[in-house]
Amino acid sequence: MSNSKQDTAGKLSLLTQVKASFSNQSALLVVTLVVLGVVFQITSQGIFLTTNTLGTVLNDWGSYILLAVAQTFVVITGGIDLSVGATVSLSSVVAGWVLVRGLGLDSTTTGSDATPYVLLAVFVSLMVGLTVGAINAFLINVLRIVPFIATLATMGAMAGLAIIISGGMPLQGPNNWELGIPYNVFGIQLPISTTVLAVIIITVICGLVLHKTKFGLHTFALGSNSFATRAAGISPAKQITKVYMLSGGLAGLAGAYAYIRLGAGSPSNGSGMELYAIAAVVIGGVSLMGGVGRMVGIALGTLVLFTVQSGLLMVKVVTVSPSLKQVIVALLIVAAVAVQTLQKSGRK
Amino acid sequence: MAQKVIYEIRNASKNYGAVVALDGASLKLHAGEVIGLVGDNGAGKSTLVKVLSGAHSPDGGEIFLEGEEKVWSNPKQALEAGIETLYQDSGLAQHLTVSQNVFLGREKFVKGVFGKLGFLAKKQMEEEAQKDLEAVGIAFPSSNRPVSQLSGGQRQAVAIGRAVSWARKVLILDEPTNHLGARQSAEVLEVIKKAKAKGLGVIFISHTLPHVLAVTDRIVVLRLGQIVRDSPTSEYTADSLIGTITGSYSKEEK
Repeated sequence: MSNSKQDTAGKLSLLTQVKASFSNQSALLVVTLVVLGVVFQITSQGIFLTTNTLGTVLNDWGSYILLAVAQTFVVITGGIDLSVGATVSLSSVVAGWVLVRGLGLDSTTTGSDATPYVLLAVFVSLMVGLTVGAINAFLINVLRIVPFIATLATMGAMAGLAIIISGGMPLQGPNNWELGIPYNVFGIQLPISTTVLAVIIITVICGLVLHKTKFGLHTFALGSNSFATRAAGISPAKQITKVYMLSGGLAGLAGAYAYIRLGAGSPSNGSGMELYAIAAVVIGGVSLMGGVGRMVGIALGTLVLFTVQSGLLMVKVVTVSPSLKQVIVALLIVAAVAVQTLQKSGRK
Repeated sequence: MAQKVIYEIRNASKNYGAVVALDGASLKLHAGEVIGLVGDNGAGKSTLVKVLSGAHSPDGGEIFLEGEEKVWSNPKQALEAGIETLYQDSGLAQHLTVSQNVFLGREKFVKGVFGKLGFLAKKQMEEEAQKDLEAVGIAFPSSNRPVSQLSGGQRQAVAIGRAVSWARKVLILDEPTNHLGARQSAEVLEVIKKAKAKGLGVIFISHTLPHVLAVTDRIVVLRLGQIVRDSPTSEYTADSLIGTITGSYSKEEK
């Protein structure tokens, strides 16, 4: 009797230990990144771990991280923002429209001559994004539509608007291509460009806002217990407005990133991006139930996602078709959610 | 009661669709007085609490704080006027730490530019939360732990401590002894007596009638949204109180 009891206790403590070692999401993600690096280095027959590949991974990461950060704030409140991808399309298209149709410029304006216009594109994209965010907040606060449906509606509307404004074609405008080219310092090739650096800075600032400021605290409080938050004298509607406008604004900046990357505002710039943003957030350890998430986890989770995306393309020992890639990414998301569930039961 | 009336509600009514939750309830609370608010489930206690705390707007009736008419359109206005409320089972954000909960909506900021930008003085709030809760006199855990890691009793202690430490005029406690053992319940009753001694008006809602009889000056009985009796505690016995709550007392069956 007592022996079998001890056995059970022994097994339990082993299980608890395993679970505990998984309980730090960020540590787990770093380990995952290392493992992925080794696996891809072997399966690509030694061409994965190069500055070039890292530059590609970080460039892709930059396309999505702002959307993942946007989604993080929204999901922590217990909501979701499906409109971020369409906002990327619309904001890049409107920026392109202003430069091409409004100012009559084209892609022959390049280099530092184009920099003021690129900054204008950033500003226009940001304004478009903030507007979409304000519309989402209106639908959620005033019309009392649940975030999933409200942002699904704006997603469709904004994607449609992007096609109408652009005529379905990319608007090729002025661009300073150097902004997207990785730095070369004293002959040493770095994997980071100006745009990637800008995105890293924005991500760090958003991390500080989320974890160190009143705005971040109220975001967590709202997702944790909206009644208690209101009872503490905080207006949930105001907080929701700020969070969805932040999300829209970040999606607008991601639209500017897409414009600089392509030198064009295209209605297909952001299509499907919302799903990757949600996937990145889930891999990064944000609970879709609200109230839980860390920015370091989001940055690392997004990096894991795009390391897998890039790495699978370079695998040489077997051919990974795009369809198989989709399946593998899906499995990754399932694994991330399974680990989260394990962590939860580990804590109890 | 020689003390002045600190908080008053007149003829409050509140409907949820076809359900009448409050039907012309009136209540006077004096400074330094503890009122027990009792009634069966569905009698309208929690609705009255939410109307008094500003969480819900009444459909009819008036509210007076120190003789001045007030219309609360959100809980913030009531909080700023000095009315603190402990809600039954829903007062804390469980993903936040103890000190974050204590200071939620009343955060302190670091000095200088970063403070203006909204950066929080985490350490300062943790220390002050610790002090405030200790001063209230309820056993509680360290103030930097997330509420989700606390037991039901510890959570309740934090919620009570928060309400008591912030209250300036009126303290409303909805089932504060829920989830608490005998010793902790006794601590809560002591806290209520201290609040009374400080000159606060206290409204104490509870199903545990011995607690209500032990600590209150007056007991108000709600039934089906109406106040059916409002008398000094000394005029009730345990039996007559139960009878009044259930509505059997007037029939004198036993």
